[in-house]
Amino acid sequence: MNDPYKTLKAAIIRVTDETSNIKSFLLKPEKKFSFKTGQFVQFTVPGIGEAPFTPSSSHFEKDEIEITIMKAGRVTSRIHELKPKDVVGIRGPLGKGYPLEEFEGKEILILGGGVGMAPLRCLLLSLLEEKNKYGRILLLYGSKTPGDIVYAGQFADWKKRGTEIYRSVDRCDTGEWKEKKGVVTCLFEGLKLNPDNGVAVVCGPPIMMKFGTMKLLEVGYKPESIYLSMEKNMSCGIGKCGHCACGKYFACKDGPVFKYSVVKDIANIWD
Amino acid sequence: MEFISKQNFADFVKGLYSEYDIFYPKKNSGGGRDWAKWQKGDEFSLEGHRTVLPVKYFFYSPQENLVAKQRRPLIIFGARGCDTRGLELLKKIYLDDPKDPYFRKDILIFTADCTSAHSDCFCSVLGAHPWAEKDFDLNFSPLGDGCLIEAGSEKGKEILRKNSEKLEDVSETHKKEQARIRAAAEKIVNGQNNGVTLDMQKLKGKIETRNSAFENHGKTCVSCSACTTVCPACFCFFLSEGKENKIRYADSCQLPGYARVAGGANPKKELISRFMHRFGCKFSWRPSMHNNLGCTGCGRCISGCQGKINFKEVLIEVSQ
Repeated sequence: MNDPYKTLKAAIIRVTDETSNIKSFLLKPEKKFSFKTGQFVQFTVPGIGEAPFTPSSSHFEKDEIEITIMKAGRVTSRIHELKPKDVVGIRGPLGKGYPLEEFEGKEILILGGGVGMAPLRCLLLSLLEEKNKYGRILLLYGSKTPGDIVYAGQFADWKKRGTEIYRSVDRCDTGEWKEKKGVVTCLFEGLKLNPDNGVAVVCGPPIMMKFGTMKLLEVGYKPESIYLSMEKNMSCGIGKCGHCACGKYFACKDGPVFKYSVVKDIANIWD
Repeated sequence: MEFISKQNFADFVKGLYSEYDIFYPKKNSGGGRDWAKWQKGDEFSLEGHRTVLPVKYFFYSPQENLVAKQRRPLIIFGARGCDTRGLELLKKIYLDDPKDPYFRKDILIFTADCTSAHSDCFCSVLGAHPWAEKDFDLNFSPLGDGCLIEAGSEKGKEILRKNSEKLEDVSETHKKEQARIRAAAEKIVNGQNNGVTLDMQKLKGKIETRNSAFENHGKTCVSCSACTTVCPACFCFFLSEGKENKIRYADSCQLPGYARVAGGANPKKELISRFMHRFGCKFSWRPSMHNNLGCTGCGRCISGCQGKINFKEVLIEVSQ
């Protein structure tokens, strides 16, 4: 029986503390596991529950998969208790990912906030793997404080591999921050962009997605050139259970990546 | 089309039981009809109208361990047109790729024309009839001294072939009687709905916009989810983890936690947004995405509502 609810066993290889409430889990599935950047998986803690996450590792990696998870609720609290050698489940890949073929030859602006950097890391690593296919790659990343930056040790490598990186923090109580201060949209100041031949990809908390998208429109991006990762309460992941309704769409099946032009008229999309 | 007499009908049912479990509408003490499992000696009539509960729970359970199950195939004998219209949407959702392997596919649907109407029935308001036009294996039109039978699938035809000795040719009188009874049932539904039939396209254009009808009718909603539980076309569920398998629970867009995400954000926190969600889903989103209304006009939501909300009145007011 072909069962879309069945999980694939995966062993935890490594747990990395990213911030005080965010950890990355490197998993080794019992079989090769392929996904496209932007697609998500249901992470199952046996007997406890499932929660949806977009992997943060490159989609070119087939043997291991890394998932970055913020402790935010019942299931994620249990996930944060997991240790190497524990066995969990993954179900997927689910949904539609980023249409990389539409990005080819274009300037790509990646706009991330907080733990929203997780799917964007996957995107960035996948883009860098075939960097010659794309134009300029920019990463604009905002977090609350310097201590909330995920993948803090990896930005230097991404920069070395050709990514232009701009970062901001909302506040810095210790005073040790040499980059920008302010919400993520402040990073657009003085930045020369090519929205006519560029795409923008946004992921972060709903409020950041809203103002980030407004800013992108303001600087000239067309609604059809802005790609959003919609955070909804996916349960089945295959367009049956109804939870992730986003107007007429099911975010799990029709998304989770949507062009802004597709969802802009849906009531309360930023809630 | 064939005719079966009342006498042969009992033998017909008995014969089917050798291969199938059969559920039929049985009168309850309140005058309504509940689904009852047929047992030897049971006699039943197909006259009347829809049951209290829809047929969807034969296809999946409100709470179900997602494991393979061995069951006898089933006949739902006496479903109504509204039941099949709801079921068609459920099939489009559950059997769309990737198929849900736990949604039952071994059930035959034997529909029956309504010969009466529940006081909450409003299929005519949606432009539908109180009988099934398609999506049945066999349809039965009760005629007093027997039933007209129409096959709607190969399986239905096969069953008629196997029972040919119990069937008679259809006469013009039978056909006239069927038309008369159907017209009478339609008159009842139409009458109790003042002859109103809504323009579904016009309604679709208005249903997602905030309207005083939603505010006025929605204020007595107590978020109990009775409306979605008894709805033949509501399909939402929550997938959970059991010790050794997944468990599926029926869920409802009317419950406060339905859309809540980790961290507490909840796009459907306000009661009015949940109340409107149900209408948007039924009259705009499902027609757009599945080419199927999410409402059948059975009126079960009205019968079951703890806040005495008349969903039909909401539709009529929004349409104006």
